[in-house]
Amino acid sequence: MTADAADEEAAPASTDEGSSGATDEAAAHAGTDHAIDGDAILRIRDLDAGYGDLQILTDVVLDVADEEYVTIVGPNGAGKSTVMKTVFGLTTHMGGTVEFEGEPIQGLAPEQIIREGIGFVPQNDNVFPGLSVRENLEMGAYILDEVPEDQIETIYDRFPILRERSEQKAGTLSGGQRQMVAMGRALMLDPDLLLLDEPSAGLAPDLVSDMFDRIDRINESGTAILMVEQNAKEALRRCDRGYVLVNGENRYTDRGDVLLADEGVRRDFLGG
Amino acid sequence: MGTTDSSIVDSARARPGLLFVVLLGGLLLIDLAAKLVGADLGPIGGSLSVDRLGSNLWNGVVIGLVIGLAGIGLSMTYSILSFANFSHGDLVSVGAFSGWGVAFLLAGFGDVPVRALLTVRDAGSASPGDIGAHILTTPGAILVGLLAAFVVTALLAVALDRAFYKPMRDRDGIALLIASIGAALIVRYLLQFGYGSDRRGVTASVDASNLAFGPLGLSVNAHELTILVAAIGLMLAMHAMLQHTKLGTAMRAMADNKDLALITGIPAERVVTATWIIGGGLAGASGYLYVLLRGTIQFDFGWLLLLLIFAAVILGGIGSVYGAIAGGLVIGVVFTTSTIWIPSDFNQAAAFGVMILMLLLRPEGLFGGVSTA
Repeated sequence: MTADAADEEAAPASTDEGSSGATDEAAAHAGTDHAIDGDAILRIRDLDAGYGDLQILTDVVLDVADEEYVTIVGPNGAGKSTVMKTVFGLTTHMGGTVEFEGEPIQGLAPEQIIREGIGFVPQNDNVFPGLSVRENLEMGAYILDEVPEDQIETIYDRFPILRERSEQKAGTLSGGQRQMVAMGRALMLDPDLLLLDEPSAGLAPDLVSDMFDRIDRINESGTAILMVEQNAKEALRRCDRGYVLVNGENRYTDRGDVLLADEGVRRDFLGG
Repeated sequence: MGTTDSSIVDSARARPGLLFVVLLGGLLLIDLAAKLVGADLGPIGGSLSVDRLGSNLWNGVVIGLVIGLAGIGLSMTYSILSFANFSHGDLVSVGAFSGWGVAFLLAGFGDVPVRALLTVRDAGSASPGDIGAHILTTPGAILVGLLAAFVVTALLAVALDRAFYKPMRDRDGIALLIASIGAALIVRYLLQFGYGSDRRGVTASVDASNLAFGPLGLSVNAHELTILVAAIGLMLAMHAMLQHTKLGTAMRAMADNKDLALITGIPAERVVTATWIIGGGLAGASGYLYVLLRGTIQFDFGWLLLLLIFAAVILGGIGSVYGAIAGGLVIGVVFTTSTIWIPSDFNQAAAFGVMILMLLLRPEGLFGGVSTA
């Protein structure tokens, strides 16, 4: 609910920016070239997936290049989160391939996918409420024999409030702080790719842009991002490329600013 | 003042059940005070010696520790595997029989046939006195027996998990609960087959094993002291494990949120196995200690005790380890002190009455919502 409100608040500003973008690229329309030309660290081809017998995704194609920031947008029920969960081995794989750094990873268990270098921040219930902040971070590095103190320090430097709150139970933190704990936990193994499912969901409107700034900085430090976000305009403004998914299929793929400028995308998926 | 009074009245109207419990509790306390000073005020009062109250409380704490120790495992399997394990009581019995078999073997080896020792006096005609198992005369045998109770029961708990619960891991709590009743029956009647169905004495009696405590005249049995030390020691070890080890943190994490534990890379099956080892082991140890307290053993005592263990766990807030310990102490004390007012045949009813009041007034339990942490 709060994120919806944030979306609406952001709407007037984005209208201005969007119209100037439209004049810049008056002839430009969002592309449909879903695969990239160069190397991709994450390469999804013709992916069919769902839950049990229920198929959600059909022939999805998606690439994330090294250190790239990619957003998936689309209407509710488009299968955006399902793409992420499938990368992480949490859905039923029905066809197609998911490759990470050249190796097929479809069918691997989450524990193995973590070892490959992918971190995942789910949308809801993404911290252990009864564990302290520090214990949450330690759990993120469970597969290592030793607690990586230097990585905990790196995360405390990135989110200084977590250092102050390190002994506090995560369940007692504010929504924004919990989201930092969740990201910190997923960054404990210094992944090459971070999956973020609706990171702004449930945040107070004034915290949303801080959250996006933090994601920018994580990306700038060399971690590729694949993000699903309901706050689509802000997400497209920040990202390198965006995918528009409809009914579990690819619709448009292009640079974020091009998608924002496209009349059809704006009208159909971004609420005008 | 007027506003304060009306707010008290309002809150009393809003929660008549709480008001009733507070009034009843107050009345019992006044009655208890009147009994202690020996005042006879018609329906209340009477006479009660401080000695008797002291020994009731002490017995309640000791039995409460045993129940709480057994409740830890029940609460852990509930929070980590999401089902109420009805075979837990029979794990308590297994711990008692296996532990006392080993303790007897060490205490009576050479004097009494091995078969009589290992079957905890089912075979042969040796009396407890012949075997002479007692903390003051054979402390080593008693302690090794405790260890054996823990180890054997832990192994059985893991074996039951592999055989019954692991293949059903994705099923709901009701299916697992019913499976656990089946497992309970199997274990109970295998115990009856192996050890017989007689109730029999286990511990030897030793002169001067009662230690009187000062002016209160509280008489403390050496076995009760052993239970106090062993149970508190095991609980502290459990606390240290949960709070200060990687495995314990992972257990709390799984109890908090299984889906997140999965995507965090916590190896669920390893944590589940550890849960059975610790929860089963503590159940076995508590059964062994219960027999040390009571001095007798019977194949289905754990099953009968399970109701009280459940009451303790529910009272403390199911899923919470610390709640199980606190709930055990409350149930134990209610169990023994209720005999001040009601015949001792009804003291189980008093324990369940307290549990039901708790469910009505605070359904989440004493430690509800705190989960394992």
